Amino acid sequence: MEPLILQATEDTPEVILNPDENIFRIARISVPEDAYEFYRPIIEWLREYAKNPLPETTFEFDLEYVNTASNKQLMQVMIILDQIAQKHPVKIKWYYESIDEDMLNLGQRYQKLAKNLNFEFLEI
Amino acid sequence: MATQIIDDSLFDKAFNLFSRIENQDFEYVYRGFFSHNISKKILSLADVNIQKTLGQSTFQKRIYYIMVEGLQNITMHQDEIEEGLDKYPGIFAIQKQGHYYYITTGNLVLNEKIPPLKEKIEQINKLDKEELKQLHKEILRSGVISEKGGAGLGLIEMARKSGNKLVASFELVNEQYSYFYLQTKIPTTKNVPIEEDNPENMRKALRSIKKLHITLNVENILLYFNGFFTQENLLNLLSIIKGRMNLSLTTIRLSNIMVEMIQNIIKHGEKDPNNKGVPGIFFLRQLDNGDFALISGNYVNKKQKHILEEKLKFINTSSIDEISEMYDRVLLDMDNFDAIHTGLGLYDLRIKSPEKLQYKFLKIDENRYFYILQTIIKNKD
Repeated sequence: MEPLILQATEDTPEVILNPDENIFRIARISVPEDAYEFYRPIIEWLREYAKNPLPETTFEFDLEYVNTASNKQLMQVMIILDQIAQKHPVKIKWYYESIDEDMLNLGQRYQKLAKNLNFEFLEI
Repeated sequence: MATQIIDDSLFDKAFNLFSRIENQDFEYVYRGFFSHNISKKILSLADVNIQKTLGQSTFQKRIYYIMVEGLQNITMHQDEIEEGLDKYPGIFAIQKQGHYYYITTGNLVLNEKIPPLKEKIEQINKLDKEELKQLHKEILRSGVISEKGGAGLGLIEMARKSGNKLVASFELVNEQYSYFYLQTKIPTTKNVPIEEDNPENMRKALRSIKKLHITLNVENILLYFNGFFTQENLLNLLSIIKGRMNLSLTTIRLSNIMVEMIQNIIKHGEKDPNNKGVPGIFFLRQLDNGDFALISGNYVNKKQKHILEEKLKFINTSSIDEISEMYDRVLLDMDNFDAIHTGLGLYDLRIKSPEKLQYKFLKIDENRYFYILQTIIKNKD
């Protein structure tokens, strides 16, 4: 599958979805005005990937700022990954600044709502 | 309800500020510390707004250069101040009246600098266009540059680019410092109607800035934006907050909550008919106990008011756990189960704040309300 790579901008995150190297990563800032529009290609890509995933997927989230509109789209990402994880293990590496308990809470919320995912919380 | 009494005055203040500012045609006001980085952001914030009105034009470029000089002037004087800067922050404001823009800077200067400053400005104001050009050349050639690199070149440039006299005014702060206000008037067209060229307008514009500056200082408003909200503006404001505070949970929360509040304005506020964005006000205020209050104000229609009221009522009568549950439901909901509960922004504000959300709708006319929302953030630093 063709990797999907997006450079970070001032309000959208860096996105790397590359099964060839088993790198799946969403990082930095996600505060777009239209989160639905921004995440649509990512969600479509993941739906395609879910049809034939790697035996094991490791997905990194390394976010600094996320708006609530992005939270909702990230939930979509988690739901797709959760479906994959019913058959093929998915590990989530959730990075957060040690001072940023809100980011940790957000990761824990996803953990609670997507039960098949194996979350690892990493303090930066 | 004891809190309600305090809030009433706060909200009225927010509304008064807004309406006063609206009448005065303030396009943008920043009050606070001016670092190099913050100045850069203020500049692009202001320029985006001005370009929306004027497009890219000679006049827009002139205003841009005058803002650059004005901001450099502030940072230059700031460097000479040893203490008291956080107590007496400066101000940068843009007003638009008819076919003129007014750019005003206000900052602390040492009292001993006032006479030479006055003299310099008087000298500049006596010269016509050609003489200003000559003076500019002479200073460059002779290399007489003041220790701060100034030599009044910035002031000369401001006078040249604006084509108008500079207006300066000083307000004594204490035995050491005064506020130095400098105002430039810039036309936005070649043929400004003569009746607009009235010195009284300029004096009025300066008076209202001074009054506003006092209010902002008294209320300890750290950041103040009034104008048209767009995503671009939001990003600039975000960098300004990041630039003036240390990285901490409090700063992260402030930034996140600011994003939610301003994106709420952009999404739900009543748009400007000329499509410049959504008019509104946002300010960040530090309370006496060190906590922060974030306040936004914007216009909404009757239907929006109803939806917001229902949602806010739900939030303020529910426990954090109940709100958190609702948050999960909205996260998992694919088709937005109803208009009232969609949108996570307000839930997020409540979850992150130690207090209930405070809000008010002020009736403007049958279908128009001014909606003010306040979120309190604990200062954990």
